[in-house]
Amino acid sequence: MVVALVLSFTRYDIPAPPEFIGVDNYVEAFTSRSFQRAVLNTLFLTIVAVPTAMIIALVIAVLLNQGMRWQGFFRTAVFLPHITATVAVAVLWLWIFNPDHTGLLNRIIGTIGLGPVSWLGSTEWAMPSVIVMYIWQSIGIKMLIYLAALQGLPPEVGEAARLDGANSLERFWYMTVPLLRPATFFVLVISVISSFQVFDQIYILTSGGPANATTVMTYQIYQSAFQASRMGYASAQSIVLFVVLIILAIVSRRIVGGTDAH
Amino acid sequence: MRTNTLEVRPRREDRIAADRSRLARSLAWTILLLVSLTMLAPFIWMVLTALKTEGEILRGDGLLPTEWRWQNFADALDAAPFGIYARNSLILAAAHTLMTVTFAAATGYSLAKLRFRAAPWIFGGLLAAMMIPGYATIVPQFLMVRFMPLFGGNNVLGQGGIGWIDSWWGLIIPGGVTAFSIFLFRQFFTSVPTELLEAARIDGVGEVGIFVRIASPQVLPAFLTAGLLSAENAWNNFLWPLLVTRSEEMRVIQVGLASFRQETTAQWTLMMAGTTLAMLPMIVLFLLAQRYFVQGFAQVGIK
Repeated sequence: MVVALVLSFTRYDIPAPPEFIGVDNYVEAFTSRSFQRAVLNTLFLTIVAVPTAMIIALVIAVLLNQGMRWQGFFRTAVFLPHITATVAVAVLWLWIFNPDHTGLLNRIIGTIGLGPVSWLGSTEWAMPSVIVMYIWQSIGIKMLIYLAALQGLPPEVGEAARLDGANSLERFWYMTVPLLRPATFFVLVISVISSFQVFDQIYILTSGGPANATTVMTYQIYQSAFQASRMGYASAQSIVLFVVLIILAIVSRRIVGGTDAH
Repeated sequence: MRTNTLEVRPRREDRIAADRSRLARSLAWTILLLVSLTMLAPFIWMVLTALKTEGEILRGDGLLPTEWRWQNFADALDAAPFGIYARNSLILAAAHTLMTVTFAAATGYSLAKLRFRAAPWIFGGLLAAMMIPGYATIVPQFLMVRFMPLFGGNNVLGQGGIGWIDSWWGLIIPGGVTAFSIFLFRQFFTSVPTELLEAARIDGVGEVGIFVRIASPQVLPAFLTAGLLSAENAWNNFLWPLLVTRSEEMRVIQVGLASFRQETTAQWTLMMAGTTLAMLPMIVLFLLAQRYFVQGFAQVGIK
């Protein structure tokens, strides 16, 4: 991290040696249209995908915690996408999003007379498509952490509320959700970190396109460092990524109010 | 897992409540079933595609293949050296697992049980390292590998050659031991009773002996969990192998799959066969050892 900070103040187009240029890299990053777009896209993806996936994960975890038949199967099914390589998963979704009538998604909307839609090739659908795949893949781990936290809750609490006449929705909202606050904070932090590191799926699905519609900060860093060989500029972009992430972590702590030492 | 038992009570209101809760449970079960099928649908679609003929794909008819074409898997193996890719990924996974169960375990143990002055600082640094996103440090990490002195034609100052690029060193050493795995071991070793270790020390067992023969057997699940997770990460990793390997002989499976996709744009049957092959080992490993994976992920969640 320190090395990245030092390099961010240099022009370092390898193999030429680094040369100190002050804050020029940061000026370039903040005025570059594609990097601005990447910051906005990263934030958009995080703000849409993380809460959506967290809510779905929490509901699934609460339902799973009721102890029902096939519980193991359900848990495995929800968790399987997380264990699978993102590159392989992205190639699979590339096929699901295939723009002509053979892609699974276009076949499904075709049955009600819509489409075909060029999911990844159009500026308005590319980002939502990426987000759908991201949510699908990231529910599992959040569900698992919630499930573990639920199993750590004392059963007497829910029992007492039941005797007081609280229905299951009230119990969920007034008991389970507040009791899970530390878990929620933890899930939120690791989710935000992971949504800032979305790269593999962008590389496979869209290469950041069309017209920068799906470019993200990690993809910009990759392009600066390993396609343009501009290590100094890429380091400055890395520092921006890190700082934005820290700010978001502080903001999430404010929102959720996690108090203990997670 | 906690099971919810319905108590039988004679009162009428309670019977109604029991009926309602049974209805709610059926509803919940149906929701879970639908969610699970949605999560599995892409995988099922992948396998079905991998077993169809190219002509059937283009016509876009029925969901099930008319003739089950297992030949696609053999064709995919012919079209790209997936055997070499898989071998490289296996070596990488084995090496990372080995590094984890030795170095990460030893570090985690010393942080948990050996009282030395710097321990809290190292542990704090570890927690901080877990918060730093890997992508923010990818540039310095790459430069260190690129300018590694005395390797790959580099001189003492790391100039002149390509360093660890396109070598097993560059592929394996960075990322072999993660802050996460050290943390996991530290959490497990903390629960080992110190008296046990003290007793062994009094009996004259050396420090290494205490770690290997007394403490480690107490936390075997930690070894399984950390080992499995590091194997999974190594198999699934993409960006780092993409950056440090160049020749086809060094390519790992995910990089191989990505380049296969770029070379064969329209052949979805072969592509899905290749994708299935790239996923299969980790899915099998996960299904066999699900307990330990789940424990590993949940452990960081609880503690």
